Amino acid sequence: MSFNIEIVSPVKMVYSGEVNSVSIPGTSGSFQVLQNHAPLISTFSVGKIKIEKDSEIIEFSTSGGVFEVKSNKAIVLAESIESKDEVNIERARQSKLRAEEILKMIEITEDEKDDAKLALQRAVNRIKFKEKS
Amino acid sequence: MATLKELKIRITGVKNTQKITKAMKMVSSAKLRRAQDRIIAARPFAAKINQLLTDLINAAGEGVDDLLESREVKTKCVVIVSSDRGLAGSFNTNIIRTGNNYLNTLDKNTKVVIVGKKANDSFKKMKVNLVKGYTGIFNDLTIEQSNEIVNFLVEGYKKKEFDSVEIIYNEFKSIAKQVTVREQFLPLKKAGDKKEKDGMIKQTSGDYIYEPSQYEIIKELIPKQLKVQFWKVLLESNAAEQAARMTAMETATRNASDLLKILELSYNQARQAAITKEILEIVGGAEALKDA
Repeated sequence: MSFNIEIVSPVKMVYSGEVNSVSIPGTSGSFQVLQNHAPLISTFSVGKIKIEKDSEIIEFSTSGGVFEVKSNKAIVLAESIESKDEVNIERARQSKLRAEEILKMIEITEDEKDDAKLALQRAVNRIKFKEKS
Repeated sequence: MATLKELKIRITGVKNTQKITKAMKMVSSAKLRRAQDRIIAARPFAAKINQLLTDLINAAGEGVDDLLESREVKTKCVVIVSSDRGLAGSFNTNIIRTGNNYLNTLDKNTKVVIVGKKANDSFKKMKVNLVKGYTGIFNDLTIEQSNEIVNFLVEGYKKKEFDSVEIIYNEFKSIAKQVTVREQFLPLKKAGDKKEKDGMIKQTSGDYIYEPSQYEIIKELIPKQLKVQFWKVLLESNAAEQAARMTAMETATRNASDLLKILELSYNQARQAAITKEILEIVGGAEALKDA
């Protein structure tokens, strides 16, 4: 009961192989994909990607991307993706502080506000991901 | 003829230079290998996203996103990618010359964006409309830096500050060959216009489930495609730079060897001449004593 998955980012091929299931933090709600899933293309946002292989569970933290599955071949195109060891907690904390400071400022444009919110989300996600283990 | 001492100094000097060029060559070849690895690592992502986007756009038809539609070009934006450091043979000269020649054929209002310190320095002195210069990024090239440049370009394009973006950079063909190329970056070119391919794609992409919707996904994919495209340009340029430097440094090392041979020959000749002279003097002196 397995299917093939490839997780790639612009910087490297993160994972490739047979898995039993994958959980994706989809933009309109997270979902899980098992074998023989109908063809699907979905975007996903900041969150956690979890793959299960036999009894092994591997988790990655991601800041968004696109997911495609078709005839038991899944592809995760992630803008950035990190395993637990790769998350730089110091950097995440710093960007969290920075984003919070920007949000506190009064004179910022809507665009800047959105950017800061996204940055905050990414940072919080990384911190949560790293600390919960 | 130069004196022994002068020759000795020159030989030491050339030897030291040769040591430096040799070391630089080795550093460059290591960096080149890394740069090539990164190009290879970026390939699966780039290929996949390109294929996905092409499928979706072909299925969706026209008018999906501004970044896809070409409009009347009033102002162009030209991005010139050079390097931060010199001593890379004709790498920077080529790119600066090509860039300058091309800019001369265009309107004076053409906006110029520069990546790399070398071109930034020379274009600052010229009469061009330099809007932004990114320097010092190649030392530790990250995708975040690349994305920042893409965001700047996309924003400018959306705000209609310019109506098309072209990139001039050195493409890495092989270690011995780098080609200066000019590519259109925005509006995004639609790949794969082949008719028969079209029919096939529509069939396959028809039965997908889209989350949230086909339109949203295209919107999301386009910036990603642009980012990876630009990232590839930077990586190519970086690899080309290292390759050019490697070749240049190898030539320099070889030239130093040739020079050393000549210098050592003259040094030995001068030394031999000095010895011969000394012997002659001693013999002459001894003869004179014997006679007395």
